[in-house]
Amino acid sequence: MDTQLEIASRLEGAETGVLSLSGEVDVSNVQRVREAVLELLERGAKNLVFDLTGTEYMDSSGLGVLVGLLKKVKELGGTLAVAAAQPRVKRLFEITGLNQVFPLCDDVEGALKEVGA
Amino acid sequence: MKTTIGCGSEIELRIPRQAEFVCVARKTAATVAHHLSFAWDAVRDIELAVGEACNNAIEHVPAELGQEIVVRLGVEPDRLVVEVIDQGEGFDPEEAEQGVADGETVRGFGIIVMRSVMDEVEIRCDPETGTCVRMIKRRPSQ
Repeated sequence: MDTQLEIASRLEGAETGVLSLSGEVDVSNVQRVREAVLELLERGAKNLVFDLTGTEYMDSSGLGVLVGLLKKVKELGGTLAVAAAQPRVKRLFEITGLNQVFPLCDDVEGALKEVGA
Repeated sequence: MKTTIGCGSEIELRIPRQAEFVCVARKTAATVAHHLSFAWDAVRDIELAVGEACNNAIEHVPAELGQEIVVRLGVEPDRLVVEVIDQGEGFDPEEAEQGVADGETVRGFGIIVMRSVMDEVEIRCDPETGTCVRMIKRRPSQ
């Protein structure tokens, strides 16, 4: 049993993975998020876009996974951007100062441009 | 249906110290806050803070030191007092705020978040009674 979260992933071109998270990201399901990203990296992605359009809740465990994944994509020579974070989630990035670390883009299209896709 | 929760009420919830039950604690806290007429943003702040405190109780307590988290919500005239208690020996809040790489994730943001969204946060650690994260959110004027 974990908190309700739907994860959809796709490759956009050869090197960019897009992960869409719908629902609530918390300590009970962050491992699923990480596993979905690792699968995208195995399929060839080196850049990542997190589409948070449908993310209603995220806690610091979600941020912790994002920071860990940023390190990983940088090792691969890639980068990571966040798209369409809702006000509550965006606030979490601001509180922790991670808005200075992750590009927070208004939409997926902008995030894809940000990572060079 | 609008339920009234009177001043002096105390709601106590005991959950297994497992990640899957954190949502039960935070959603209960959010429901109580809603019934106390907190604004929507404040309700979500309280929900987030309770979730973070429970996450801490899961992360910092060895399995052999208790399998339960106690969440107390105390309703006072001008504030909601939230206590999240575990049976762990505690941790150094300043050290925890520095951020710790744990495998492929990074921990340490939880205390920063709690301090940001609540009006007061106090972390009491006692080797005998456990760790209590006590948080206060002032209630809106009636």
